[in-house]
Parts: sequence; C-alpha cells; structure tokens
Amino acid sequence: MSNDKTSLQLVTNGILKENPIFKLALSMCPAVGISTTVMNGIMLGLAVLFVQVFSSVTISLIKDFIHPRIRIPTYTLTIATWVTVIDLTLAAFFPVAYAKMGIFVKIIVAFAIITMRLEMFACKETVSDSFWDGIGMGMGFLLGMVTIGFVRELLGSGAIMGYDVLGFKPLLFFILPSAGFFVVGLMMGFFNWIETRYAQRKRGNA
Amino acid sequence: MKNFLTIIFRLTASCLVAGLIMGTTFVLTNKAKKANEHAREQKVVFALLGYSGGQEIPESMGMHELYRYVVTDGEGQSIGYLLPVGEHGQDGGFSFVRIGLDGSFLNQTSVPVSEENVRDQGERDKAIQAALGGDKTIRFTDQTIVVTDHGQRTAYLLSGKFPGFKTNIAIILALDPEYSVIGLEVMEHEEDPGLGAEIEQDYFKNQFKYKPFEKIKSIEVAKKPMPDEYFAALEGNVDEAAADDIMQQYRDQDIYALTGATISSVAVSSGVKGMTRKFAYRLDLLDNVLEQQQIAVPF
Amino acid sequence: MKRLIRLILCAALPVFFGLTGAGQAAGLVAATEFGADNEIIVQFNTPVDPAEATDTQSYTVYEETDPDIRLTVSEVSLSTDGRQATLSFAEPLNTSVAHVVTLHDVGGVAETSFSVSKSYLGYLFSILISALLINNFVFTKYLGLCVFFGTSKRKQTAKGMGVVFTIVIVVAVSMSWVLFQYVLKPFNLDYLQIVIFIGLTSLTVQAVDTVLRKVNPILFKSFGVYLVLVIANCVIIAVPLLMASNEYNYFETFMLSLGAGGGFLLALYLMSSVSERLELARVPASFKGLPIAFIVAGQFAMAFLGFSGLQLF
Repeated sequence: MSNDKTSLQLVTNGILKENPIFKLALSMCPAVGISTTVMNGIMLGLAVLFVQVFSSVTISLIKDFIHPRIRIPTYTLTIATWVTVIDLTLAAFFPVAYAKMGIFVKIIVAFAIITMRLEMFACKETVSDSFWDGIGMGMGFLLGMVTIGFVRELLGSGAIMGYDVLGFKPLLFFILPSAGFFVVGLMMGFFNWIETRYAQRKRGNA
Repeated sequence: MKNFLTIIFRLTASCLVAGLIMGTTFVLTNKAKKANEHAREQKVVFALLGYSGGQEIPESMGMHELYRYVVTDGEGQSIGYLLPVGEHGQDGGFSFVRIGLDGSFLNQTSVPVSEENVRDQGERDKAIQAALGGDKTIRFTDQTIVVTDHGQRTAYLLSGKFPGFKTNIAIILALDPEYSVIGLEVMEHEEDPGLGAEIEQDYFKNQFKYKPFEKIKSIEVAKKPMPDEYFAALEGNVDEAAADDIMQQYRDQDIYALTGATISSVAVSSGVKGMTRKFAYRLDLLDNVLEQQQIAVPF
Repeated sequence: MKRLIRLILCAALPVFFGLTGAGQAAGLVAATEFGADNEIIVQFNTPVDPAEATDTQSYTVYEETDPDIRLTVSEVSLSTDGRQATLSFAEPLNTSVAHVVTLHDVGGVAETSFSVSKSYLGYLFSILISALLINNFVFTKYLGLCVFFGTSKRKQTAKGMGVVFTIVIVVAVSMSWVLFQYVLKPFNLDYLQIVIFIGLTSLTVQAVDTVLRKVNPILFKSFGVYLVLVIANCVIIAVPLLMASNEYNYFETFMLSLGAGGGFLLALYLMSSVSERLELARVPASFKGLPIAFIVAGQFAMAFLGFSGLQLF
C-alpha cells in the first residue's frame, strides 16, 4: 500500500487532525498527571517524540522480517527498548527534571498511541513516511502537553517556565493535582466549540 | 513446524538486538548518572555552606565522609563507622570502628578501599565485609560529611530520608559544630504540586535556618499564618541586615505549617528533629571513643 | 460474573487467615501491643513482682532500625493482677517501625527480648486500602485513563473490564515479583525492569486468553474483548514498578496488586453509573462525550482527596 501524502501533511495530520491528546484522546495519563508546568510538558513530550519516531522507524525497517503472528509482541519489545533507552538517558543527564516526572517516563511503554501508530501506519508504510508520521504524532503530543502546561502554570502559579510573569496566582486550584481533569475537560470542550463555530462560519460563507 | 521455528528464531533475534541496545545504553549512561548525581550533591552541599555561585572554595577546607553501619553477629548488634584515619593533612586510609550499643569501644579494623570506591555503596560494602570476615553481616544506614577548615570542624552535612505525605522525602541537612541548623535542602520528594511540594520553597525550608539545637530538639509545627515580614525575610526579599534581624527574632519559634499541607510540614520538621537528635547523640559517643582509643582522624 | 468474584475471594482468604496464626513466642511474655501514642503494653503469662516490673531500669527499648538509640521509659504501671505492664515514654513512639523491648530480671528471667510492632495483617490491609482508596490509581495517580474513559460508558462493560483487569494484574504482578526478586535484583539487571514487566503482562494476557477460550467459551465471549485492552492500561506497568521500588515481599505485592485492580474496578463502576445518567442530561453540545466525562472524573478525584490521611490501623 502506498501513501500519497507529503511529509508536511503527515506532520500536520498528527498535530491538528489527529492530535493524540485532544482529538484521539489517547495517552491522557500524563496530560492530567504531570501537566502542571510547561517544562514538564516539554520534557515528557520530547521523550514521547523520541520513542514514537524511533519505534516507527524501527518497525518500518524490519516490517518484512516480523512474523505476522508475533506482530504485537514485537511492537511491545521495540517500544520497551526505546523507552528504556530514553529512561536511562534522562535519569543520567537530567536528574532534576526526571525526578519531577516520576513514574511517567517508564509508563510511555503502555501508551496506546504508540502501539496504534505502529499497527496502523509504520508496519505498512515506507521508512521516511513512518519517520514523518512519528514526528507528527510526537509533536502533536508535545504541543498538547505544552498547551495544557501553559494554561495550568499561568493560571495556577502565575508563571511560565518557572519565571514569574503575572506576579500573583490567579487560580491556585489549577495547579492542584485533581484539577488536571477539569483543565483537560474544559480545554477539550473549548476546542470543540471553536471547531463548530469555525465550521458554521465556513458554511455561512459558502 | 517450520513456521514455529521461524517465529522462535525471529523472536530470539529481536530480543538479542533489544538486549544489546539496552545493555549498551546502560553501560554508557550509568557512569554519567553517578557523576551527575555526585556533582549535584556537591553543588547543594557547597550552596548550603555558603559558597554558591562561583565563589571560591578555600583550599584549607576539607570534607571527610563518615559512613555508619549496623553490624550483626552471633552475640548481637553493634554500630560501625567507616571513617578516614590519620592526622589532618596526611592520608591514613580508611578504618572501620565498631562501637557497642552502650557506647563502648569494641574494635578497629583497617579497610583497604580507595577514595573513589568508597563512594560507591556496592564497592564499600564489599571492602568492609572482606575486612570484617564472614561471620558478621553489615547494613548501611546513613552517611555524614564532616567539614573542616584548617583541621577545625566547621559543619556537619547529614543526608536522610523519611516518609512524607506520598512517598519518601530525601534531604541534606547542614549543622554547625553546636548542632544548630545552617541550612536544609530537599533533594527528592513526590509531594503534590501547589501543596506539599512547597516544602522545597525558600519560605518553608529556610525557617529551619539558625534554629538552635535546643529548639530543634523539641520543634513543633504551628498551624497559623506566617507573618509577612518573616515571609519576606525567608524569601530573601529584604536586605541582609534586616533579614538577619527578623530571622533572629523568629529563632525560637516553631515552624509555620504550609497551607493545606500540614502532613508534609510535620513530616519534614519531625524528620529534621529526629536526624539532628540521633546524630548529636551518636557523634558524642563516637568522639568519646576516638579520644579514648587515641584514633587519629583528620576531623 | 459472581463466580469470578467468588474465585478471587477464595484465593485471597487463605492468605489472610494463614497470617493471623503467627503469634508471640511462649515464655514469660504473652502478648505485646502499642497503647496510646507513647505507650507499649506488655502482657505476662504469670503475675510478676511489682517491684521488679515497675522499675524503669528493667526495660530497654529501641527502634529496630536504630539499635543504639535507647528510648527513655519514663514510667511503668502494673495492673492490679500483676499481669499487665504499661510502659510510658517521654516522647510519642513512631509506631510504623518495630520496637525491640528487652526485660532484665523480671519474673525470674534474667533477660528476654521481644519485638513490638503493629499487626502485620493490619499492615497488609492498609496496603490494600491505600491502593484501593487513598492512592486510587485512577483518581489520585491519574493512570490508566485511556482505558478508563473508553470502558466506563456502560455498567456491564465497566464490571467486565474491572474484573478481567484485576485477575490479570494479580497474576502478572505475582510473576513479576518472582522474576524481580530472584533474577533482576541478584544479577543487577534493574534496567531491564520495563521490558520484563511489560513482557510478563503480555504473556499473562495471552495465557488467560488461550485458557479461557478452551475452558469456558461462554465466559470468553463476554470477557475476551477486554483482554486486549489490559495491555494498554498504564496501571499494569505502574504496579510492578511500584512494587520494585518499595521492595515489597510477596504478601505485600499481592495486596498492592489486588488493591490496584479493585481500585480500577471501583473507579470504572462509579464512573459508568454517572455516565449512564449523563446521557439523559442536557449537556452543552461542545461538552458532549469526553469533555464532560473529564469534568466528572475531576469531581471524583476531588472526592477521593477526602480519603487522604485515612488511617485504619
């Protein structure tokens, strides 16, 4: 099966049309759990990006070698390997940021989004397409995390990336652990609303 | 059957490759991890001692690490300290000094271990076990750094871990020779952001600063709002002289609890209390033994 | 459904009762326990001489982890029949660690030591309750959300998913414990944790799938679909990682995994009950579906915050 999308289309598809967090609603755990700061979002987003790209490329490279009956175990093994690599690397070189993310780096191994992309895309497509698709999905996740982190950090502690910008804390509630659900829910609703408004206007214009 | 064999072969091959990748990463990162951890600890330690931000560390300053073990053998338990021996300025290697539970001297064994290896728990345990012989089991409990300047003790650095609200909280505590607190740094914790995680903020941890041993011994947590001037002084928002004044004024006060995180606040203050009291008691016994047995130590 | 629950109970009960049998050693001391927060109560088999038993010098007490730090006994009171002594301490005791008490020259025994600790059964139970409620994996650790939102629309689905998940997690974590304790730890292979734990989970899922398909095809028809989802649930990898970092023994591990599975079942059931009603409610169009589910989950999370600090034992 061939794919007629350009690399740019593949990337934007992951970021907008099939955004893992807001559209597919997969891999929500970190989006709720540790999205309290922009920095956390960037770190975990990069880790996911790394795992997604490397796993996609690996699977796409060895797709002819994988026996169809052990497809899923091979995916799991591939993802687990790259997760271990990024986990060890982060622990060694960014110990402070790693400590903040706690168990969430290791948990990337159980993210549905990565397995799904391997099954639906990487095991059929060429290496370069898989690479761009991986980049798109990873970036989509990263941007989603950063957006949530931005809202929570700005409203919760009046800061961005640890720098105090507001000088006061508008809504301490946003940074409290259980508020993650509310923030994600409200943002999803907000994006849905924008989308319907946009669609309506388009229809009105036409 | 052929199908089955290919599956096995391919799975084994994938596992081998995966194992190779992970093993290589582990080997490559493990050293860096240890070095980075050590560097971070070193930075925190110097900051606690007042040498933050590129300030020169005087050459006369020495840091001597003291590792405490609980030794169990047929007769019962005793406490062992692995410490550097030899007068100030000369290297006498490491010695394992065993002290009975009542504070009496039991014996001293020389432990051949290099300055590098002593930092690694695995290597250290192996060396001590070899020196002691097989009939004793040892259990590492904690480590202390004794800071000296021209051979005079200037501070003790204690690392400790205690249960917080969610998981363990790890801290480094700096004490002066009279066991008053010089400073406190939170190294690891998983408390809730916005609530318990505030323990790492200046306005909480600096409250312990300058508290005398007499106060720390029985320190409690007060559930009342922190006065504004004290908050400003703790955060470093006022000039130094004024801050010193305010800090002096609150020297003998209890610790103000964090809003909404009393359990975390109590955990840290009772942790500091316990660490300080136990350390003071143990160090007095150790000093006593070292003096009686005329064991020369660089601190 | 009922059969499955009964099966789980049957597996859990012997573990409970097997442990209650462990008691104090015979001899002078019959039983010991923590009293008020600065008291230790010692029960004797035979009445003892009040003069010996009320002398604070007859007792040395220390925390098991700090044998060199003696705790000061400020006062000892003896009950009128001479069989129960209450040791009062100057400071509140840290009851989470075992305390070792040594008696000297009491009741004609030169020296006898015993350890006082909270009941182990209570401790195990507290691990279970903690994983179930206080640290509920869904509402306070925010794990397993994809599967949680996916399968909490109907009560029937929620129950099926929860039960299958509980079984798989108990089996998988038990195997992980064995492998961690006897292979990973002794050979310093800690960095392989992720691969091993996820691998064992896939293996369990595959095994349950095969067995169920053969043994009970009807059950498989209703539960088979959930098996695939188990592997995409972060909780299944978080529990063994937690077990490894806390160095739990087998019983503790069992309780943790049971609590985690039960907690997931509870969360799913609560959420599905609300979801079924939400369908009848008039939700703003943009919030239909997932957004409102997230907000409901947020309210549950806040409610579960109320369990924090809960202490039963």
